[in-house]
Amino acid sequence: MSAPAQSSGLTARDGAGLQAVPDGIDVPQHPLVVPTAGAVPEPLGPLLAPDAMREIAEASGLRQMGVRPPLREYIRSVWARRAFIRELGSAKAYARNQGSYLGQAWAVLNPLLNAIVYVIIFGLLVHTTRGTANGIAFIVVGTFIYRFFDASVSAGGRSIKGNLSLVRSVHFPRAALPVSSVVTEAATLAPALAVMCVVAWLSGFMPGYAPVPITWRLLFLPVAIVLMWMFNTGMAFITARWVAVTPDIENVIPFVLRFVMYGSGVLFSISHFVTHPGISHVLQYQPVAVYLYLCRSTVLNEPSIPIDAPSMWIAGVVWALLFLVGGFLYFWRSEQRYGRD
Amino acid sequence: MSMPQEIDFEVDADDLSFATLNKELGTPSLVVDDLYITYKVWGGKKVGTGSAKQRRVRRALDRSREHVGAITSVEAVRGISFVARHGESIGIVGVNGSGKSTLLRAIAGLHPPTAGSVFVSGEPSLLGVNAVLMGSLTGERNIMIGGLALGLTPTQVRERFDEIVDYSGIGDAIYMPMDAYSSGMGARLRFAISSAAVPDVLMIDEALATGDAAFRNKSKERIDEIRNNAGTVFLVSHSLATVEAMCTRTLWIHQGKLVMDGPSHDVCEAYRAFVRASDKR
Repeated sequence: MSAPAQSSGLTARDGAGLQAVPDGIDVPQHPLVVPTAGAVPEPLGPLLAPDAMREIAEASGLRQMGVRPPLREYIRSVWARRAFIRELGSAKAYARNQGSYLGQAWAVLNPLLNAIVYVIIFGLLVHTTRGTANGIAFIVVGTFIYRFFDASVSAGGRSIKGNLSLVRSVHFPRAALPVSSVVTEAATLAPALAVMCVVAWLSGFMPGYAPVPITWRLLFLPVAIVLMWMFNTGMAFITARWVAVTPDIENVIPFVLRFVMYGSGVLFSISHFVTHPGISHVLQYQPVAVYLYLCRSTVLNEPSIPIDAPSMWIAGVVWALLFLVGGFLYFWRSEQRYGRD
Repeated sequence: MSMPQEIDFEVDADDLSFATLNKELGTPSLVVDDLYITYKVWGGKKVGTGSAKQRRVRRALDRSREHVGAITSVEAVRGISFVARHGESIGIVGVNGSGKSTLLRAIAGLHPPTAGSVFVSGEPSLLGVNAVLMGSLTGERNIMIGGLALGLTPTQVRERFDEIVDYSGIGDAIYMPMDAYSSGMGARLRFAISSAAVPDVLMIDEALATGDAAFRNKSKERIDEIRNNAGTVFLVSHSLATVEAMCTRTLWIHQGKLVMDGPSHDVCEAYRAFVRASDKR
């Protein structure tokens, strides 16, 4: 085993103690102790007192790692990664439909099959939609929109753990991950929304179901979706932190989501089934039910779901801002802990 | 302690016959002060082979504890201090499980310290063996995602795209999903991506082990380029010849502690003697 015997460019060949560099910072060094052949040398202890080390680091303009960055700087660095968030989110949505012969066609086929199942079971076999004029459209819109929430929360929970290879190889603000996981869901939602509107419209031609005409109200669907997107991102921040800190929570999330589904009137009309005024109010104004209401009011033609309900739109805006800001702060407060084993 | 088995099988020193860069060192680029890192390992408990005399109830209780809440904490790094400077390339040697990779991850900000502190210049970039970006996506999209994650803008990534592909030398495979790559091809592409941003501090964790001789020569050039731009390069490798050829200074880490720090030649000699001695034992 031959080795190139040169000690090369290291100017500090003999350097025990301090050594001056051009900028006048004294760089501490461990002394070179050559052990007896085959032995492990004694461990080398601290170089200087912690304060002195910090002083050297600050004089050289270094930044401390593994500590939570200040909020303002954190927001700026997340914003600087917006292209990364978009790219990662859309790439994941694309990769989801890879590995099948039909490929990206599944982006449309998947929600279509989903809609057919609900139409057959709830529209034709079981009538859970008393109090609505067109039960099929009611359920189709409900399930599609609820799926956006459901998928965002689950994906948010997995966003740190599922991207561990990325987290371990590159240092970037971790908040980019929950945000991009919701972007993935939104990218999946876009073709589903088109299917949803078409199926709702077609259901109007079935005997016994009120027509669902296409109106100006549909223009407000994107507004409702954007509000819900903000809310979902906030929820994804919260679940991302929970699961990253306590992995066990990932097992509980599906049960909570199922509970929320029944408490949000996805398959039935809350105002029609829940008679107790207090409970009915709580259920109607909880965030998921609010977004379901807003989306339904833009697509459906239900007299019981008018679009000009200011209280619902206000609730939608308030929940969106509250969860987005609160969730972000909650996530940021644990930034230094993500990516541990 | 497990038997260290480290043989130089990767590189002949002749393959790396270029002169090591000779340059003045700059100001500190990295300060590591009395660093301790402890991490949790899930599901790591001894399966009770305890004595048969124990009572059945007691044994059942112990048994259940192995499966619920089985968490062990591991002290991977125990009090390491050193200062690295601009323009330095530093090798890290040590037996398996001595804490080399954990140390690098802490420097990269991927693992928060339990005690002590790490100060670093710019955005450090870590290149590890298992740093697959997104296996199901093509090399092309991985370049975009990797570049953006490193903080480049989309235009910058597009500008450097051809250079990255050229540098990785994997040709049309760039349009295939990374899952289909051989480990060497993956390493090439990752190295090309990680070094595209010209980081201030680049850490290479055994990632060169899977590359062929031509790729190692290219890596060596890129490392020298980073050092020329006043960057600092860390290299973890089990090949002492690689460390000696590429690094001016070497740290020897043993059981989470820094035991030797000095010119590569001296440290590698001492380490080699240690490995030989423990092989005989």
